[in-house]
Amino acid sequence: MEPQSESPSPSPSAIARVERKAILLLILISTLVLGFLLYVMYARGVFESTQQLVLISDDAEGVIVGMDLTFAGFPIGRVRRIELAPDGKARMVIDVPRKDAHWLRTSSIFTMERGMVGETHIRAFSGILTDPPLPANSERTVLRGDTSAEIPRLVATTRALLENLENMTGPESSINTSLGHLNTVTERLSGRYGMLTGVMGSEENAKKIIATLDRTNALLAKTDQRIYGPNGVMDGTQAAVTQLNAVLKEASVSLKKVDAVLAEAQAVGANARVASTDLGALRAEVEISLRKVSQLVDEVNRKWPFARDTELKLP
Amino acid sequence: MPPSSSPYLDTDAWGRALLRGAASWWHLLHFGAMVLVMALSPSTYNRANRATTSQYIYASTWQVLPWFTALAALLSLVLIRIVVVTALSYGLSQYALQMVVRVLVLELIPLSAALFVALRAGLTFNASLIVTPLKSFADPSPPLSLASLRHQYVPRVMASTFAVLTLAMVSSVIALVLAYLTVYGLTLWGLPGYTRTVGQVFDAAVTLGFALKTILFSLAVAVVPMAARLDPYQIATEDTVQPGAVRLFLVLLLIEAASLVVKYI
Repeated sequence: MEPQSESPSPSPSAIARVERKAILLLILISTLVLGFLLYVMYARGVFESTQQLVLISDDAEGVIVGMDLTFAGFPIGRVRRIELAPDGKARMVIDVPRKDAHWLRTSSIFTMERGMVGETHIRAFSGILTDPPLPANSERTVLRGDTSAEIPRLVATTRALLENLENMTGPESSINTSLGHLNTVTERLSGRYGMLTGVMGSEENAKKIIATLDRTNALLAKTDQRIYGPNGVMDGTQAAVTQLNAVLKEASVSLKKVDAVLAEAQAVGANARVASTDLGALRAEVEISLRKVSQLVDEVNRKWPFARDTELKLP
Repeated sequence: MPPSSSPYLDTDAWGRALLRGAASWWHLLHFGAMVLVMALSPSTYNRANRATTSQYIYASTWQVLPWFTALAALLSLVLIRIVVVTALSYGLSQYALQMVVRVLVLELIPLSAALFVALRAGLTFNASLIVTPLKSFADPSPPLSLASLRHQYVPRVMASTFAVLTLAMVSSVIALVLAYLTVYGLTLWGLPGYTRTVGQVFDAAVTLGFALKTILFSLAVAVVPMAARLDPYQIATEDTVQPGAVRLFLVLLLIEAASLVVKYI
C-alpha cells in the first residue's frame, strides 16, 4: 500500500511500468464513465428522433415522467412531461420514437389503468392498422380505469349483498320459514296418508277425503246399476228411441202427402193466374165499351140543342 | 462536593470540547479545500508528482481491483438472484430489475467501494505518517507547507479518490451485466427492454445524484482520515480508536442519508 515502504528506491523501469498501469486505469475509468453516460443517454432516448403526443385525462395520479406508453406489451413511447391545463385537465406529453409511431393511427384508443398493486399503465390500442397514421402533436383523451376507485363501490355492494344474505339466513327470514314449512310438508308426506296428508294439512282431512272417495265409489256403483242395469234408464231410452224412429217414418209419409197437396195447390194457383189474365182482357173490353158509350154520350150531348159546353173531355 | 466541581457541570470543559470540535471540523474543511485546490492546479502534476500519484494509484486501485471486483460480483450475483427469485415468486418480476439496479448500483456498490478503500487505503496508511503531536489547544500546529501538501498528501488523496471511483464504476458495470444475464440469460433479445429499464432508473436527477454521491464518498474517504491524522486536536485526545474513523463513518452516513432524502422523499 505504501509505495515508499514497499520499494524505497524503485528503479526507473518499475516506475514507468507503474505509470503505464496507472494511465491504463485512467483510460479504463474514463472509458467506463463515458460509456455509461452514453448508454444511459441512449436508454433515456436522447438520440432518438421522436414525435409528440398529448394525452388528456381528468386525473394523472400515478403517472410519472419516464413512464412507458405500451402497444401490445411493447413500449413505444415515454412520458416526457405532465402539466395541468387551464381547464383543469392533466396533459401528459409523450415522446413517441418515429420508428414506432406507425403503430399509432387516427383511430387508436389510449387507456390508463391503475391496479391495486404496481404502477399505472398507459396503453395504446390500434384496431385498424390501415387507418391514416396519427399526426404529430395530436391530442387524445385517455380512457381511465382505476381499480382502487372501484373498491368503495365494490365494498358497498358487497356489504348490501351480505346484509341481504344475513336477512335471508336469519332465524325469522322467509327462507327459514319456507324451509320450516317444507319440513312440515315433508313430515306429512312421510306420514300415514302420504301426500294426501301433505295436501290436506292433517290426517283428519285426509280421512274425510278417503271416506268421500269410498262413498263416491259406492254411488258410482249404484248409478251404474240404475243406468246400465236390467230395466235401467238406458233400456227405457233405447225403447223410446225405437218408438221415435217409427214416429219419424210416419211423419215422413205425412210429409209426402203434404207435398202432393202442395203440388195441387200450385196447379190451382196456375189456373188462377190464367183466370187473372182473362180478367184483364175482359176489363179492356169493358173499358173499350165504356169509352164507346162515353163517345156516344158526347155525341148525344153535342147533338143536344141545349148543350152549350163545347169543351172536349177526355175519358 | 460543590456543584461547580462536578465534571458534568463543568461549563469550561464543555466549552473547550465544543471549541476543539469546531476547530477540528474547520481543520478538516480547510485541509480538504487546500488539497482539492492543489489537486485541481496543473502545476501540481509535474513529473515527480505524476510518478508519485501513479504509484499510489497502482497501490490503491490496481492491486485491489481484481479482488474487489470478484467479491463485488459474487455478492451482487447472490443479491440479484435473491431479488429476482423472490420477485418472481410474488409475480412482480417486472420490478425485479429496477430494484436490483437501484439497490446494487445506486446504493450498495458505491458505499461498499468507499468503505473498502477507507479500510484498506484511507486508514492504514496513517500509521506511516510521521507528524508532530501537539498537546495543547493553545499551541496549535504551524500551517502545513504547500510543498508538503503538494508532494505528500495530494497524490494520496488523488489515489484514494480515484480508487473509490474506479472500484464503484467497475463493480457497477459488472453488476449491471450480471443483472442482465441473471434475468435474460445469454441472449441479446432482452437488451432493448433492459436498456429501457435502466433508462427509467437513471433519469437525470438520479444520475446526477449517483455521480455526486460517489464523488463525495471518494473525497470523504480520501480526505477525512488524512485530515484527522494531521489534526492536532484529535491527537491531543489520544483516543484508542483510529483517528478519523468515526468521523469518516459519520460523514459517509450523512452523505448517504442526504442522498436518500433527496432521491426518495
